[in-house]
Amino acid sequence: MKHNFENLHTIFDKYPKSQESLIAILQDIQKEYQYLPCEALEQTSEVLDVPLSTVFSVSTFYNSFSLTAKGEKIIKVCTGTACHIRGAKLLQDQLETHLKIKAGETTEDMKFTLEVVACVGACAMAPVVVVGDKYHGSVKVSRVKKLVKAK
Amino acid sequence: MIHITINGKVVQAKDGEMLLTVIRREKIDVPTLCHHEAVEPSGACRLCMVEITKPEWDGWCDYVTSCLYPAADGLIVNTHAKKVNELRSSILDMYLARHPKSPEIRQLAAEYGVLKTQFEEVVDGDNCILCGICTRICDTMGFHAISMVGRGHGKEVAPPLNMAPTACVGCLSCAKNCPTNYIEYNMENGGLTIWKKDFEMVACTECGKTTITKEFAEYLSKNRDINIDYFRKCDECHRKELAGTMGRISNWDREARS
Ligand code: FES
Ligand code: FES
Repeated sequence: MKHNFENLHTIFDKYPKSQESLIAILQDIQKEYQYLPCEALEQTSEVLDVPLSTVFSVSTFYNSFSLTAKGEKIIKVCTGTACHIRGAKLLQDQLETHLKIKAGETTEDMKFTLEVVACVGACAMAPVVVVGDKYHGSVKVSRVKKLVKAK
Repeated sequence: MIHITINGKVVQAKDGEMLLTVIRREKIDVPTLCHHEAVEPSGACRLCMVEITKPEWDGWCDYVTSCLYPAADGLIVNTHAKKVNELRSSILDMYLARHPKSPEIRQLAAEYGVLKTQFEEVVDGDNCILCGICTRICDTMGFHAISMVGRGHGKEVAPPLNMAPTACVGCLSCAKNCPTNYIEYNMENGGLTIWKKDFEMVACTECGKTTITKEFAEYLSKNRDINIDYFRKCDECHRKELAGTMGRISNWDREARS
């Protein structure tokens, strides 16, 4: 994927040029591009004078960072205890068949990324599916298609 | 100088130096997998565990990783207390389950009486015990070519972006210090391949034997102020040359005396 990396400098300029800024910068990059592009990691390493291996180590440590491009909308199926009991697996199966991807993957048209997460803190409305930043509670298998209607 | 007691013997130590250093100085054998004198201790392998106590602790004992525990005056250390040996064998039991094929792990486990693990074996696993010696040594060398990547079950040692690391000079410090000989490299036809990166080797101008990689030689001559010509000869030829030089010197001496 081609990106315009000019914005990176606006991000770098916000922080002091030291190792302490690493996570904050990575968070901003993740927000800007929805993932951490290789070029951005290399530039971060150069600007902060932190070895690329350290940048990579930190980027792969936290789940909130992703090294692969994600879809426009991220669909999170909660498989925490409560949701699991109330049929999260069925929802996951349905979403996987419908979007023709497996959990953790992104549709070819880059519209959706399917993720499986553990407890999003809304157990009372289990099973929960989060589409973008919208929470859907008591989701039924029959409603799944509607949730991803944008497709 | 302070005094501590190790296995009943009173020994001298520097205040604050790590217990493992004192233990090793006393030639007592404590197994370790993540310790290397060249790098900061990290407490990853847990095998250097010892029992410590003090008279005023009322018979209370603690179990600490000796590589990370600073010596303090009056400390009483037992490197092979019953409980310590038990701890070590249960740790080795887990290592054996995770790396059943590693000869190094098997031998160490056997020394502690663990011949077969009581846990389920990871059959398709690798022999990397994630001790971090390689990454810490690489950092100390100043290259920072590899690091710990990922976490939990997926944690591994890898170069950035899983590509041949630009920062690597092929010094082999990682591979040569790996306690389980896990890091693979290939030295063939005057070249070296490690971490998927190919290197050219310097060949001895006398006998043609290869010595170190070109990159490493250049790095050393630039940063450690060593004449690059030094690397153009292998160890043996250096030695041969040294014998000649010494011979000439004694000849001169003899001549000067007569
Ligand atoms: S288990 Fe799904 S919200 Fe808590
Ligand atoms: S040597 Fe590995 S924990 Fe101390």
